[in-house]
Amino acid sequence: MKSRREFLKQMSRAALLAGAAPSMLTWALPQEQSVPFPGEEVMLLRSFRFVDLESPVEYFDTWLTPVPHFFVRNHMYEPSELDANDWRLSLGGEVEKPLTLNRTELEKFETHSVVNTLECAGNGRSLQRPQVPGIQWGKGAVGTARFAGPRLRDILQRAGIKPAGKHVMFRGLDEVPGKVPPFIRSIPIEKALDPDTLIATHMNGSPLTKHHGFPARALVPGWVGAASCKWLTEIKVLDSEFVGNFMNPGYRLPNQPVKPGDTVKPEDTHPLTALSVKSVIAGPSDGAKLKAGKVTVHGAAWAGEADIVKVEISADGGASWSPAKLAHDQSHYAWRLWSYDCKIGKAGEHTIQSRATDSQGHTQPATPVWNPSGYLYNAVDQVKIYVS
Amino acid sequence: MSPELTFRKMLYKISALALLVASGLVAQTSVPAKVTADLPAGPMQAKATTACLECHEARIILQQRLSKPAWTKEVDKMAKWGAVVDPADRDALIDYLSTNFSPDKPAYEPQRTAVEKKGSAPKNY
Repeated sequence: MKSRREFLKQMSRAALLAGAAPSMLTWALPQEQSVPFPGEEVMLLRSFRFVDLESPVEYFDTWLTPVPHFFVRNHMYEPSELDANDWRLSLGGEVEKPLTLNRTELEKFETHSVVNTLECAGNGRSLQRPQVPGIQWGKGAVGTARFAGPRLRDILQRAGIKPAGKHVMFRGLDEVPGKVPPFIRSIPIEKALDPDTLIATHMNGSPLTKHHGFPARALVPGWVGAASCKWLTEIKVLDSEFVGNFMNPGYRLPNQPVKPGDTVKPEDTHPLTALSVKSVIAGPSDGAKLKAGKVTVHGAAWAGEADIVKVEISADGGASWSPAKLAHDQSHYAWRLWSYDCKIGKAGEHTIQSRATDSQGHTQPATPVWNPSGYLYNAVDQVKIYVS
Repeated sequence: MSPELTFRKMLYKISALALLVASGLVAQTSVPAKVTADLPAGPMQAKATTACLECHEARIILQQRLSKPAWTKEVDKMAKWGAVVDPADRDALIDYLSTNFSPDKPAYEPQRTAVEKKGSAPKNY
């Protein structure tokens, strides 16, 4: 199974690189292996009906992730009817002058752009032991894009925030199945007023695609993806944190470290905010068969609101570590690409590991920090390679 | 089943078929690609399909590897969120899920989405 997948992976990569007729690939892939999905190419399909797509890590070789390879996380159905001309964004709650904006009015605000690494809080959940429920993401529920649109601050200031306004709630147009609670979340006013927090309308220079929240989404840089509500239709300034399933018990971490498998009471938890320091090896692929000699290890590292200061690589199972070279492209909330050339002369299995350190002094832990929902997995990454 | 969800299911089937026709796969293969997966065979397959797949697809279940206590919590949460589970079937449903999707089962291998033909992607996707 492994070798077949590897073969398919290599084929699809080769076809993309060579620009070979993609239809040939569709022909070649057995039906059970490949599912048509317009606009989303070669993604790992975690769910079709609620769209949940994971980027294969081999695509983490460009600073900006192309939109067709950018992960998609939906909690429920995307809006079935979304007419850009009828779309409105309302702003109310603890404000002096409630507003309703259409697309033209939104476009009149000054545009600001932020290169941001967006990561699902549950990225890496499948690696937690014991396993926990939720989308079983591997390593690829993360990507980096240039998001652009008005600053949330400018829109809030036009409405005028009352002194009682302490939190800002986002509601999207997601369609709720059954009696599932709506996906509504809030962020503290300080983060809402940050000059880099946006109502994003564009991603990598193009209007947002539907899967990424067209026509507008919140973009809360450096924070877990769930803060950046898609298909935004309502902003409300509140005097306290929004009360709802996706604020509590959802998207919270234990206040104190817990033993794997422990139960945690909701009152002993706090809301997730910024992402943790993390690195992922994009190549060589796990299970790759290589010839002895130079092996270039490469990948990406990010740290939410902090900067990456160091990525180290170990080719001997963690006994010794050497600094990787950080790529030139950088921006406060964006990942750094990195690479490291090592020489592997000995035939057999080798474990390659990567470990990032951020500007706040945090380093990836050697073993995962478990929590009941599997959030913010950030253990040292590793791949096994086979040298002949 | 609510009329809205029935309509939605129909839409999925139509859109899936449209994708297949657009990509020419209908003419090229004898078995059309399935965009959604099935739950495994077993005495509770039909009832689990009705209870769970009304709102989400089988893949959400197929990828889980949970203990029986964890499945119990999930089933009870989903019943609260609208899954129609006859109280007489609750324990059998939990058994079915925790037998088929226990932590000792091999890791789930996700399918991949296809590479598109040039120009086949609709705008705003």
